[in-house]
Amino acid sequence: MSSSSKRQSAFPRAQSGPKAPVNFSSSITIADSALLTGNHTINISSESVVHPRAKLDSAHGRITIGRRCIVHERTNIGAASADPRPSEARDGVVISDYATVEVGAVIESGGTMIGEGCHVGVGSRVGRGAQLGKHCILTPKTIIPPGEVVPDFTVVYSNGTRRLDKRGVTDLKNKAQARQIEVLRKLIPSNPAKFQP
Amino acid sequence: MSRKQVKGEYIETDTGNKVARKAVLVGTQHIMLGGKTVIQADAMIRGDLARTSQPSSAPGAAPGSTTAVAIGRYCFLSKGCCLRPPGRIYKGSFTYLPLRLGDHVFVGEGTVVQAATIGSHVHIGQNVVIGEFAIIKDYVRVLDGAVVPPNMVIPSFSIVAGQPARVVGEVPEGGHEAFELRELYKTVGNNPQPLPV
Repeated sequence: MSSSSKRQSAFPRAQSGPKAPVNFSSSITIADSALLTGNHTINISSESVVHPRAKLDSAHGRITIGRRCIVHERTNIGAASADPRPSEARDGVVISDYATVEVGAVIESGGTMIGEGCHVGVGSRVGRGAQLGKHCILTPKTIIPPGEVVPDFTVVYSNGTRRLDKRGVTDLKNKAQARQIEVLRKLIPSNPAKFQP
Repeated sequence: MSRKQVKGEYIETDTGNKVARKAVLVGTQHIMLGGKTVIQADAMIRGDLARTSQPSSAPGAAPGSTTAVAIGRYCFLSKGCCLRPPGRIYKGSFTYLPLRLGDHVFVGEGTVVQAATIGSHVHIGQNVVIGEFAIIKDYVRVLDGAVVPPNMVIPSFSIVAGQPARVVGEVPEGGHEAFELRELYKTVGNNPQPLPV
């Protein structure tokens, strides 16, 4: 075996890209191994949770995360769009209150708006400039094309069909989200200081 | 230099587990490996999402009851897969419940598993999403790209596929030998052996 393979450093590699300027509420929970890069501001409001290995990239615009949001692991928020044209929107990604972004979901940057109480399913992709209304549900592996506007209370399936969510359980869902956040605060060791200057 | 100092791609434990150095295991104290399990690079296991509310009948519960992910023998977790315990509201408070895998379970690349129980001799293809609290019995084959909805129960000897996943066939008679993972286990690690032809 060559000597080069023995010489690997035990330290984690340096983060790719610049350290992003951040604006955290004091009550958020952010895992140590979350990745925050870019040169625009990343705002995270009170009681939101960022899981380990979530990636927030503000290189293409500001990222704003509302109150009581949950961002799961391996998500990529603020991903570069396949479309190389510069977007005119000042905001990269806005995630409103009580939204959940599930494992491995990708949200492209460039005026993308995730409405209040939305649930972005596992491995979904939200294109640049797409606007999700309030309390939308994207099932796993859904793809929302760039610029698409999804009305409030829509359930979007991965095969493209849609329906309206008429259950009227938004208050219950928000309560459940608050409970889940209480538990996650105990389970995930938070280290916001690592990301702050 | 002695042979001992050569670092391989995998860490091999006394019980025969082969864990890639680049695998992401969070909360290792809550992860149980049965032995002879392969965990490839970039596989992620969320052991930190352990059960928080204990059953009231057992205040001094036995140690190990907070296991978040239990994995049997000869399991194979491919690159980029993710195992995470499912969570729900239980008796008025949110809790994560353990994720159990039987023996000879193959999990394909990029697959996200949030099931409650997966039996023995189960083959899960790549880019599959297993929803929360799904129960998969023994000798089941989940084809590539399937999305198993939450709470689905898949009976033994089924083949499931599609978005959402449905039972599309049965494992043929004598077909259960294809689920054996002993040979596959030998093909990875620091001294990989070729598959016998």
